[in-house]
Amino acid sequence: MDSRLLLLLIILPLTGGVLNACFGCRLPRQMRALLAISSVLASFVLTLICWPLAADGGTQVTLFTWLKSSGLQADIGLFFDPLAASMTLMVTGVASLIHIYAAGYMEYEEDQARFFALLNLFVFAMLCILLADNLLLLFLGWEGVGFCSYGLIGFWYQKKENALAGRKAFIVTRIGDLFFTIALLWLFALLGTVNIAEINLRATELDPLLITPLVLLLLGGACGKSAQLPLMTWLPDAMAGPTPVSALIHAATMVTAGVYLLCRLFPLVSLSSVGMATIACIGAATALYAASCALEQREIKRVLAYSTMSQIGYMFMAVGVGSVAAAINHLLVHAFFKALLFMGAGALIHLAGGENDIFKMGGLKQKNPFLFWLFLIGILCLAGAPLTGGFFSKDAILLTAFSRGDGLSAILWGVGVFTAGLTSFYSFRLLYLVFFGDYRGDKSAHHLSPLLIWTLPLLALLGLFGGLINLPHFYGGSEMLSHWLGVAPALELPLPTEIGLLALMTLFFVAGWLPAHLFYRKYQPEAETPWRRFLLQGWRFDALYERVILQPYRFVANFCWIGGDKALIDGVIEGIGRTLLHWGGYFRQLATGQVSFYLQGFAWGLLLMLGWLLLKAVT
Amino acid sequence: MIVPFHHLLVLATLLFLLGLMAVLVRRNLIMILIGVEIMLNAAGLVLVGASALWQQIDGQVLVIFLMALTSAEVSISLAMVVYLNRRKKTVDVRAFDELRG
Repeated sequence: MDSRLLLLLIILPLTGGVLNACFGCRLPRQMRALLAISSVLASFVLTLICWPLAADGGTQVTLFTWLKSSGLQADIGLFFDPLAASMTLMVTGVASLIHIYAAGYMEYEEDQARFFALLNLFVFAMLCILLADNLLLLFLGWEGVGFCSYGLIGFWYQKKENALAGRKAFIVTRIGDLFFTIALLWLFALLGTVNIAEINLRATELDPLLITPLVLLLLGGACGKSAQLPLMTWLPDAMAGPTPVSALIHAATMVTAGVYLLCRLFPLVSLSSVGMATIACIGAATALYAASCALEQREIKRVLAYSTMSQIGYMFMAVGVGSVAAAINHLLVHAFFKALLFMGAGALIHLAGGENDIFKMGGLKQKNPFLFWLFLIGILCLAGAPLTGGFFSKDAILLTAFSRGDGLSAILWGVGVFTAGLTSFYSFRLLYLVFFGDYRGDKSAHHLSPLLIWTLPLLALLGLFGGLINLPHFYGGSEMLSHWLGVAPALELPLPTEIGLLALMTLFFVAGWLPAHLFYRKYQPEAETPWRRFLLQGWRFDALYERVILQPYRFVANFCWIGGDKALIDGVIEGIGRTLLHWGGYFRQLATGQVSFYLQGFAWGLLLMLGWLLLKAVT
Repeated sequence: MIVPFHHLLVLATLLFLLGLMAVLVRRNLIMILIGVEIMLNAAGLVLVGASALWQQIDGQVLVIFLMALTSAEVSISLAMVVYLNRRKKTVDVRAFDELRG
């Protein structure tokens, strides 16, 4: 097979996006969506066709040399290895479904061409990240993802909150990008190459002292994109965008990029034990933080946003405890069920007449029972109900943490298990509030396009059976994904321990479900307590950043503006101007417009010259 | 030379200063033009005198040119005086100060 086919993988969505951006307004309405869907779908089919290329260490293909100057060489080159292949398949597959869903969701939208152009470019940028064979091309995709998310989150920019949310996402992820840029340049300075494979190969040459700061910088970049502590504030606000965009950000593109980066550079990352511990700790802390925030959220999409943050935290934890396979497995399964949940949430919001607040929903089970079952599958996967995809992938992460046996890992494991309980609680809280009881809203349902429902069953199946991808030996599986990725399979634990852990996980699942069942099966209005408000506002991190970062920043900016620009620079320049104007006023009076006055000047000048000549003649 | 050259220079200087005074002091446009003529003639006088002194014909040639030039200049400036007079009904130079800064 011609390996150059791989290039089409990224070119197709790019073409779709560019065509829609340039000519979308002139195309008929259906054509815009069709163009976008077909380009991503073609990319998906192409991934399937190219799948064999990923075996045996992968295939490298170069389109052309992008930058070349003394020592630096960056190609537009792709590297299609098992890790990239599995991610690409997931991204193009889920993105295809989301595109189809978006065609239904944005049916009556005015600005379809812009939407689909950005959506396609979003996928293109993500594929750039996944397939790049050098860090510079990866960085191009990295920035492209940031830009597209900015454009899509602020898609309805006429409303100020939406535009601000887009800006916030852009700026906060940009802080992370700064760290990544430094890491990239530093790696180039140290190794003289930006090629990923070469960096991984030669990582051991690096001074061990330098690896830890390098890994921490990379982690900073990953934290920005993947919304981990402390750069996570943008994700809940990103819900301002249209629902397909949220689904895309949370499932396929954007937030998984950080995890992927760490997996991609795992040979480098794994060299620093401090770095690995930090990654795991940040992951666990974010998982716990986000789960606690999700407990009290009132908007359906914000609950899901915090749940994504929490699940990404698990993936970071998996990378931190050294299991790429577990991280990627959870990433894939999470992508399926989170896309399902978000797309289901979009349909639910339509059903509730555009209402976001779960306390004003209720009783939607009667309105659309089929949607209920689909959503239930998503919730079960998220909550980690035994034998669903989410259960296996989460279990694998916790198992890896547990089997490491040191103190830190034990704490991480404990946090992970506790968070699983919280996850189960808020998942079922969401389910009960939305579907059970009586309808509490006062809006009538919007028309529900069949596309909004019929894209979901496939995702539900994938989510439900996602565990089969990497089924451990314990359950009779063969750890397909681990073999495919070529990493060591998970450690075998003694049988009683395995059963004990399994029982514990099930126990925590039930322990989360039971209170939700008791409190929320029958709706009762909740009094607002300070504690609830604290969680609702995400531990008030926004207020904290406002006070610690933004206010000093505004103060300095104001000082520079008023003191520096206005007073100093403008003062000097305008002062010069004013002085000249003042003196000019005097000199102006010389130009009387009387010719005789000017001639008088001539005469005096002549006299002066004659006097001078006379003086010279005398002396 | 019958007339000493010094006398001629003094006469020319006096003429020139008279003309200059007329230009600077008078407010009547026509009087100013006359002042300019007087200054030109003072210069012409020096040229003729110098030409006679050094027995060179150049100075006298130049004076012929000067006369032609002066007549052209006078005809144009008088036409302009008529025009200006028509615009403002006066030949007072103070009335024409549009170039004032």
